[in-house]
Amino acid sequence: MDDYLVGVLSNIGIVSFIALSAWLLLLTGEISFGQQAFFAIGAYAAGIATALWGWPLGAALGWSAAIAGGAAVLVGVPTLRLHGLYFAIATLGFAEMVRLLFEQFHYRVMIDGELVGPNGSDGFRGIRYIFENDVGSLQFLALIYLLLAAALAGFMLLERSRLGVAFRMIGEDDTLAALNGLAVARLKILAAGLAGALAGLGGGLYAHLTTYVEPRVFDVMLGVHSLAYGLIGGLGTALGPLLGVVIDIGLLESVRAFAGYRMIVFGGLVAVLLIVRPRGLLDEALVHRIGRLFVRAPPAGP
Amino acid sequence: MFEVSDIVATYGKIEALKGVSLKVESGKITCLLGPNGAGKTTLMMTIAGILQPRRGAIRLDGMDLAGLSPARIVSRGVALVPENRLVFPQMSVRENLLAGAYQRRDRAGIDSDIDRMYARFPRLKERREQMAGTLSGGEQQMLAVARALMSRPRLLLMDEPSLGLAPLIVAEIFEIIAELNRDGTTIFLVEQNAHMALKVAHQFFLMEQGRITFSGTPGQLAEDEVIQRAYLGSRRAAG
Amino acid sequence: MTALRLAGALAAAAACLSAGAFAQVGAQAPQAQVKMRAKADVACRPTSTALHYDCTIRLTNARTGEPLGGVTLTVGADMPSMPMMHSVRPVAAPPEPESGSYRARLALEMHGDWALQLNLSGPLRDRVVAIVRFEPGRAESRPGG
Ligand SMILES: Nc1ncnc2c1ncn2[C@@H]1O[C@H](COP(=O)(O)OP(=O)(O)OP(=O)(O)O)[C@@H](O)[C@H]1O
Ligand SMILES: [Mg+2]
Repeated sequence: MDDYLVGVLSNIGIVSFIALSAWLLLLTGEISFGQQAFFAIGAYAAGIATALWGWPLGAALGWSAAIAGGAAVLVGVPTLRLHGLYFAIATLGFAEMVRLLFEQFHYRVMIDGELVGPNGSDGFRGIRYIFENDVGSLQFLALIYLLLAAALAGFMLLERSRLGVAFRMIGEDDTLAALNGLAVARLKILAAGLAGALAGLGGGLYAHLTTYVEPRVFDVMLGVHSLAYGLIGGLGTALGPLLGVVIDIGLLESVRAFAGYRMIVFGGLVAVLLIVRPRGLLDEALVHRIGRLFVRAPPAGP
Repeated sequence: MFEVSDIVATYGKIEALKGVSLKVESGKITCLLGPNGAGKTTLMMTIAGILQPRRGAIRLDGMDLAGLSPARIVSRGVALVPENRLVFPQMSVRENLLAGAYQRRDRAGIDSDIDRMYARFPRLKERREQMAGTLSGGEQQMLAVARALMSRPRLLLMDEPSLGLAPLIVAEIFEIIAELNRDGTTIFLVEQNAHMALKVAHQFFLMEQGRITFSGTPGQLAEDEVIQRAYLGSRRAAG
Repeated sequence: MTALRLAGALAAAAACLSAGAFAQVGAQAPQAQVKMRAKADVACRPTSTALHYDCTIRLTNARTGEPLGGVTLTVGADMPSMPMMHSVRPVAAPPEPESGSYRARLALEMHGDWALQLNLSGPLRDRVVAIVRFEPGRAESRPGG
């Protein structure tokens, strides 16, 4: 396969994790502009684990998901009391704070005659696990999509589960959800933790794909895009954010017809879609209708 | 027996409930009437645990409900049909009914209860796969009642079930309320429609400015006085 | 409660799936030998066409400092502030007469900081990232890049 194609597909796969992360919060009714913070935490955590501590990739990725999920729970406890705009702003503030902290974060270790590790705003290079261990780019691509498939399978199970229904109920009306007997606060924190873990896993993969991260990568731009993917793709199914990613990176980015104007085209697309289909392309109504095609309901009685 | 005693609830510095006490007898329909802003919704939300009372006790058959989370209160057998926020609009009618049974685990029981709801509300059955947000106001109100019943409450709280509905639908809703009560559900109902409320209620309370100002049976107070006090408050009625 | 239990089950399922994937990757990755590693110096010059730059890349063996000739080099780029977007399709960087020297012509979408991805294949497979600031009429590599 063409290297460029492998690269684009790898990017689509990795961005999908953070898009799913933002989408999971959208599902519970929260708009987060800050999922890039957990992506960053995951990227640094996984990079440090393999490059500085010599961990195997699997352990490093698990660790990146765990620490990002843990951080999301810790941040979620105070911020999830906030609502709407206030929550959105709090997430944005938190993410910027994390980015600034990484600009001050120096943790360098002499490895093989060279200092390796996060070096403030100069970034963290030499996350060379896949080169040290001869993981081919196709193999790494397969790993990305395997994990993405596992995450999607998880979402499919979730959507059929009580927990998934609970997330949707909270997203539509959290007071009404509480009146139906849901432990709303706890469920929201759980959703935030799962979303953080997903973003962290994506970050861990990203660091190993590019071998290099720096704080600027985790700028609010990334968070806004991840949020936009769910809004474009739709709230009805976890395939929604993936559709958003494919439209943006797969079409706009790769077709290159718009070159430097791409961001403008993308912004316009989001604006138009929000007006025409406020809950995204694959919204609940559409997904419900499609679902009904497959599940034959017993005919309405006479 | 359900009992509220000396409940005080505030929004910031505003005292919306200034020591409310009332009793709701099991198996009866009890109605709470009062003018706009009297604190009726505040009382319902406090009973349901959405708002925490500053002071006072809330007891259902001896269990203390004050200070519990809404989820715990549902598990103790209280369900509220709130004012204005009736259904999950992006979920189908059937999913809304399942939502009401969130705390239950008995699959078979839930399925048979859904069938019972469809039997009682045939219009919901016809629309079971329709998104709840696209139902008419009356249908949404019926769905909200059915959804609340799915938790098999011992006490059903309803906040203005006739709000914004045409007279024919209002009559239908009250018919259902009476029917539910005949089947043994204890009902505590907030209403503005004093005429309908007094027709079905066994017991009623008047609330004005965060206080209970009258309690008795429908026969005890002339309907026009009730109506006057329920719509306008007693200051005007007296003046 | 069940909510938490279910989430636990989901996490466990995901962990099992991924563990499988890693086992495979791990199997092909015995404890890394001390491998050769590349180091790169990048110098870019503007050309007569706006946003097109000529870059000279000097590759060395990071350990010995010797020039690294004979590898196949491609150069891609993306902007650190917009990761995974605006990426420039990798171009081949053919070797120059001087050993370890390669040349690539980059067509960028806009000015600003770019992360050049130097992808080495052939005798040595590696990836080195260099940060270069491209401005109208000039380009400057960040030290350590
Ligand atoms: N969220 C709030 N913040 C501040 N004050 C509130 C809030 N909700 C209600 N109030 C005030 O508390 C008082 C009681 O309101 P409540 O909604 O309980 O009245 P009500 O009896 O249900 O009226 P209605 O018949 O119009 O529904 C009112 O004065 C109202 O303005
Ligand atoms: Mg009210």
